[in-house]
Amino acid sequence: MNTLRRCTNCVIPETHETITFDRKGVCNICLQQEVKASIDWSKKKEEFDALIASCRGRGDYDCIVPFSGGKDSTWTLYYLVREYGLRPLVVRFDHGFLRPNLLENSRRTLRLLGADLHSFTPNWKIVQKLMLQSFLEKGDFCWHCHTGIFAYPMWAAIRFQIPLVIWGEPSAEYTAYYCYGQEEEVDEKRFNRYINLGITAEDMLVRLEGQVDPRDLQPFSYPPLKELRKINCRSVCMGSYIPWDVKRQSKIIEDDLGWTGDEVENVPTGYSYEKIECYLQGVRDYIKYIKRGYTRPAHLASIDIRNGRLTRPEAMALVEQYEGKRPPSLDLFLEHLGLTEEEFLEVSMSHGVSPYRHDPCTVKEGTKTHDFLQWPKYGKMPRNETLQQLERWRRRNRVDKKLAAGA
Amino acid sequence: MLKKRLIPKLQMKKSRFGNRMVLVTTVRFDEVMEIGDPVSQAKIYQAQAADELVFLDLDASVENREPVTDYIRRAAEELFMPLTAGGGVKTPDHFRMLLENGADKVSINTAAVENPELITRAYEAFGAQCVVVAIDYRQDADGREKVWIRGGRTGTGLDPAEWAEKAERLGAGEILLTSIDRDGTREGLDLETTRRVADAVTIPVITSGGCGLACHFSEGFLTGKADAVSAGTYFCFKDENPMQTRSQIRNAGIPIRIQT
Amino acid sequence: MIGIVDYGMGNLMSVRNALEYIGAEAKVCCEPGELAGADLLVLPGVGAFGDCMRNLRHRNFVAALDEMVIGSGIPILGICLGMQAMAKRSFEGGEHEGLGWLDADVVRIRPAGREYRVPHIGWNDVTFEGNNPLFADLPADPVFYFVHSYHVQCRNSGDLAATCDYGGTVTAAVRKGNIFGTQFHPEKSQDQGLRILENFVRQGGQC
Repeated sequence: MNTLRRCTNCVIPETHETITFDRKGVCNICLQQEVKASIDWSKKKEEFDALIASCRGRGDYDCIVPFSGGKDSTWTLYYLVREYGLRPLVVRFDHGFLRPNLLENSRRTLRLLGADLHSFTPNWKIVQKLMLQSFLEKGDFCWHCHTGIFAYPMWAAIRFQIPLVIWGEPSAEYTAYYCYGQEEEVDEKRFNRYINLGITAEDMLVRLEGQVDPRDLQPFSYPPLKELRKINCRSVCMGSYIPWDVKRQSKIIEDDLGWTGDEVENVPTGYSYEKIECYLQGVRDYIKYIKRGYTRPAHLASIDIRNGRLTRPEAMALVEQYEGKRPPSLDLFLEHLGLTEEEFLEVSMSHGVSPYRHDPCTVKEGTKTHDFLQWPKYGKMPRNETLQQLERWRRRNRVDKKLAAGA
Repeated sequence: MLKKRLIPKLQMKKSRFGNRMVLVTTVRFDEVMEIGDPVSQAKIYQAQAADELVFLDLDASVENREPVTDYIRRAAEELFMPLTAGGGVKTPDHFRMLLENGADKVSINTAAVENPELITRAYEAFGAQCVVVAIDYRQDADGREKVWIRGGRTGTGLDPAEWAEKAERLGAGEILLTSIDRDGTREGLDLETTRRVADAVTIPVITSGGCGLACHFSEGFLTGKADAVSAGTYFCFKDENPMQTRSQIRNAGIPIRIQT
Repeated sequence: MIGIVDYGMGNLMSVRNALEYIGAEAKVCCEPGELAGADLLVLPGVGAFGDCMRNLRHRNFVAALDEMVIGSGIPILGICLGMQAMAKRSFEGGEHEGLGWLDADVVRIRPAGREYRVPHIGWNDVTFEGNNPLFADLPADPVFYFVHSYHVQCRNSGDLAATCDYGGTVTAAVRKGNIFGTQFHPEKSQDQGLRILENFVRQGGQC
């Protein structure tokens, strides 16, 4: 039986990536909110004003806004265009799983605000290999997405000679990789710190043992510091200068832009603004549950506890009701990567984070979302290619299987 | 207060898929698997606030060649953290070469056993703090730990704690202890031998071989009495990184650097 | 321009790389003449005190440094052995004479307790004087990387700029006018270390 130690204020457990607890058992992420409250936001706003003034009008575009169409990037774009009247280049890295509602939101937003969109979609066959390799070796299939989203706009900055890239929320909202009050430059250090799962494109090339061409991985590699320094590139989070409040921001873009949220597999109602971009989000959350014994409901409820919108017992009730469910999108995931469900569990469970030990028998079936049938099933990975990568992983992890099964 | 240290171990070999040095993981000094580029991985560890890095050229002794310096020079251009380099180091000139190219400490293993005077000469030329004596050991048929050299290929009959003590007397500044039996197995560190070696010397001891869970690191510090724990495989195949691991070590009450 | 004194000892590449990383112009100088025109000086050092002074004399650096630092007041940062060299004398491997800029001796650290191993290797908390410009914009409890067996014992407490605890008080940094020194390695102490170097670079032209 797994009883995880949880924060005495929110409900995030000890298996969270960067959590520490103080003497009262309160976690460092909750404590960070106090730092957030103590920041002189008017001074920060002045810094932001100065930064924008230094880049405005200098080139073809005033800045780059990396964009997914989700609530954060939509809010960032909205604020920069409406408050500052900026002329941004909107850069979207299409990971391959964008949902219909999200695409509608994006088109509507861009029509209402008015901005150029530069979108890039990487080669699906390469993406499949990257998804499988990172799933096997890190228990997280989103390597291509994490790296592409953060590296590709930097290449765009160099190509279009734009010295300012403005992102949305700062890491300190949910993790302790950076703290509020600390300067968070969205740079190669941050990329290496936690974005790329500890693997760069160069490392991925080595791990794929010659299966891909180095050129295939360029969109996922971070540009050299030398090149970024040539254009004096700054890459910042708007949330470091303007206090981040997800619920308030979502309401504004809903009202002003007609932005709409969506159902997400295994997420409580009332959080329809969260993570609506990717149709494999349910699988992502499910893998986290298998590894760490908690997932999106705990995360969302904890944010609401910190913002005073939910009590801890209410949060735990949500956790009990919504966590531990198998997402229907798993069927698609297995097709995309040519895996069986047994293999999926074998791999996921090998990445368990102690002290949590997953028991597949406790998992219930989750419900499909309204657009499930629209998600594309074609482009299945050939089984022999899947096996090539799977066998390499198995060779190395014979020992780990024993550990996961027995101890 | 001095913190305990977390030191990723970067083992290098020539790739089977091209003429370059790559990072590898091993299991019991065998079953090599290629996992990345040395400088790329080193930068990642720096971003994740690892305390130090150890680079080991696994081929140099076997190929009987000079240590290479290319990787350490490239690493030192972008890394501002302590770097130890080892593998095939046989003479004080090799020390000088690696130190001049960016290493802060140099590790000697086979050469230290075959030519113990090297320890003293290096100590006299560069200071004890530059001299790390690496000790690899495995259990023999009688269940006793014995030191092995040449990448675990040649037995010496030496006891690791006795050899560590002698190395200190000769001028070593630090010991890097590795259990060959546990290397890459993720079954946990050999706490007993670590403790024996830590008790036998007054210089810092880095222990390695077998980390598979965050608590293994904590055990290495608390029960093994090690000053530092090094891991070559632990961070390579899991969604764990030094920043996560140090939180867990901190939660176990051990003083470790938490600064971001 | 920052002149890095190359007397054959010390991790010069790391110091130069770190200074260049923070955007400063640094030059490795293997003879005194090359130091001309430097606004700031850095004296690194790794190894034994006796060799350090021997090499500095052999390369004719002593007189040049006296002139620039004591005579002309050019700011200098001594790192590790480089800081120790600024003392009057050292007792490492016998008794050796230092540059004599600080009224201090270099003695072996003698921590109280067997659990404190020597050399002192690793990251340790540093407590510094609040108004020391070298520590500007750093949190109250920064952590830096130490690797040494000897430390500088200042007779004049005004020269002591920072300390750390290692079974007793160990000198972590000194300051006397334009003379700065750190026992720890800022070029090896990641972000907080780079901040120390940035702060030192700001001293150029201000002393």
